[in-house]
Amino acid sequence: MVTIEERLRVEEFLFKEARLADESRYSEWEALAEDDMHYWVPAEAGQDPDDGRISILNDNRTRLATRIRQLNTGVRHAQVPPSRMCRIISNVEIETIADGEYFVRSNVILYEYRIQADKEMEVWPARVEHKLRMRDGEMKMFSKHILLLNSEGPVRGLSFII
Amino acid sequence: MLDNSRPSEGIRFEELILDDRVHSTLYTDSEVFEAEMDSIFRNGWVFICHDSEIPKAGDFVRRNVGRDPVFAVRGRDGEISVIVNRCAHRGNIICQEERGNAKAFVCQYHGWAYDTKGGLVDVPYPAGFKGDFSCHGLERLAKVDSYQGFVFASFNPTVPSLGDHLGRATELIDRAVEMSPVGRINLSGGWVRHQLNCNWKMLPENDTDGYHVNFVHPSFAQAIRSNYDEAVLQDEESLKSEAKDWGNGHTELNFSPSYSRPLEWFGCAEDRYPSYSKALREAYGQEKGDKILLDGPPHAVIFPNLFLGEMNIVRFEPVAPGVCLHIHTPMYLEGVDDDVNQRILRQSEGALGPTAFLLADDSVIAERTQLALAGKGGWLDLSRGAEREVTDDNGVVVGHLTDETSNRGFWRHYKQVMQGPDQSSPTAAAAAA
Ligand code: FES
Ligand SMILES: [Fe+2]
Repeated sequence: MVTIEERLRVEEFLFKEARLADESRYSEWEALAEDDMHYWVPAEAGQDPDDGRISILNDNRTRLATRIRQLNTGVRHAQVPPSRMCRIISNVEIETIADGEYFVRSNVILYEYRIQADKEMEVWPARVEHKLRMRDGEMKMFSKHILLLNSEGPVRGLSFII
Repeated sequence: MLDNSRPSEGIRFEELILDDRVHSTLYTDSEVFEAEMDSIFRNGWVFICHDSEIPKAGDFVRRNVGRDPVFAVRGRDGEISVIVNRCAHRGNIICQEERGNAKAFVCQYHGWAYDTKGGLVDVPYPAGFKGDFSCHGLERLAKVDSYQGFVFASFNPTVPSLGDHLGRATELIDRAVEMSPVGRINLSGGWVRHQLNCNWKMLPENDTDGYHVNFVHPSFAQAIRSNYDEAVLQDEESLKSEAKDWGNGHTELNFSPSYSRPLEWFGCAEDRYPSYSKALREAYGQEKGDKILLDGPPHAVIFPNLFLGEMNIVRFEPVAPGVCLHIHTPMYLEGVDDDVNQRILRQSEGALGPTAFLLADDSVIAERTQLALAGKGGWLDLSRGAEREVTDDNGVVVGHLTDETSNRGFWRHYKQVMQGPDQSSPTAAAAAA
């Protein structure tokens, strides 16, 4: 069981992380990620990240930094202008994995208005698993796994921070 | 059979496809799309799977040929059949899993059971079944053949041989499998299915378009390279890569001339994978081994739906005039250390698919292009570099990297396929009568 205080800190983190992603504030979002960050969107339900099967996205911290640099160039056409987004987060369950470290499950529905081309609304429902760590009084993430309901596809272009 | 009702009959392809331009209705018109499903995807050869995906008896994978659902299955005799995924009774999907292994396929609607050749072997309550088992099998694609493990199939029993279709392009497939010291690739990494709201033909066109790279992908260059300015500002003369038309709609961007050191195409120094380099030289001899290490894998489209995308294999799938899928898997190599295949996997995730550093940008440009072609549309230019391309000794047309040599090759073959056999031939006239 986590304390009410811990739950508040975790939820605050999730909401802030979602807002920075929604608003495509790439560098501020990146600042929430630890050096051992694993940012992952598997392609199949039940996939193991090390089983040699391809993922939709599978970033270690270095590749994530490259991704953020690419978005920050301003000429990443797929996000010029950035998608307009709004994430609804619910069903937050928190487990302690070590002192000051949490495994957090949530359900997320992301609405994306794709203004770069067709001007369509795309909906991305997902189960999300975060691993968070309290460091120097601040909550950070060292893992974010996004289990898209439709990961086996077809999947539209997904060039924003999910 | 309905072969005499050619849906393409009313479409004047000779007016829509000229040597130097094509009309946008080819990307938007539903009659054109229906004609393609018939002339290209049913009458011609279509890439289905690689035999490494279904190595054991009973292994199967689901696929679409054009829009027709099929599955490829390896029989007990080792032969691969490509079978329409539709029960011969009342049409239910027979093979429900995307991939797996089965001794038999039992329909979940009324329980008809079929063997791995599609033959009917059992029906529940047989007293009421007055048919003949041998007449109620699943529909099999008439032709299945393979080259270097790449399995192709056709609905058309009189399609010319796969060898005729591939023509000179077998060399491209050879180059892909020769990236392995034992000459074998392995497509066991699973597929990512990326949907683009554009016409399917933009996939082969864009994948062998060398002109767009600096304009669509500068963000990738800026994010990963420090010598970005040099790369982008390179002038036309110093670009050494080539666009090629191999005939029969098979096209290539040949990047090999731009590489100056082994494994440059793999983004690393040669000593990064010493046992890989050594194995290639031992397997193919010093000279050819060196050449493979320097030239790297092919970047080529095999008409109509296979892309040998360097260390990736891609399938193109048409869905509707304005919707298609770009479906990719890493091209794993047999006979190499795991770290080589690990790098192939990570590069595949980086380059292709919905989140990729490259393809996500290509896809938004393709979707904008599709939007621009709406309505009455207009002409798309194909003329770039026609006056400076040359035909080499093997009959391959070679142009500058930024020239439309590859796309002209695609469209020349497309036009021939869509116009079909000579309409005035006695058989066609008789069929039309
Ligand atoms: S539809 Fe398959 S058994 Fe009836
Ligand atoms: Fe591209």
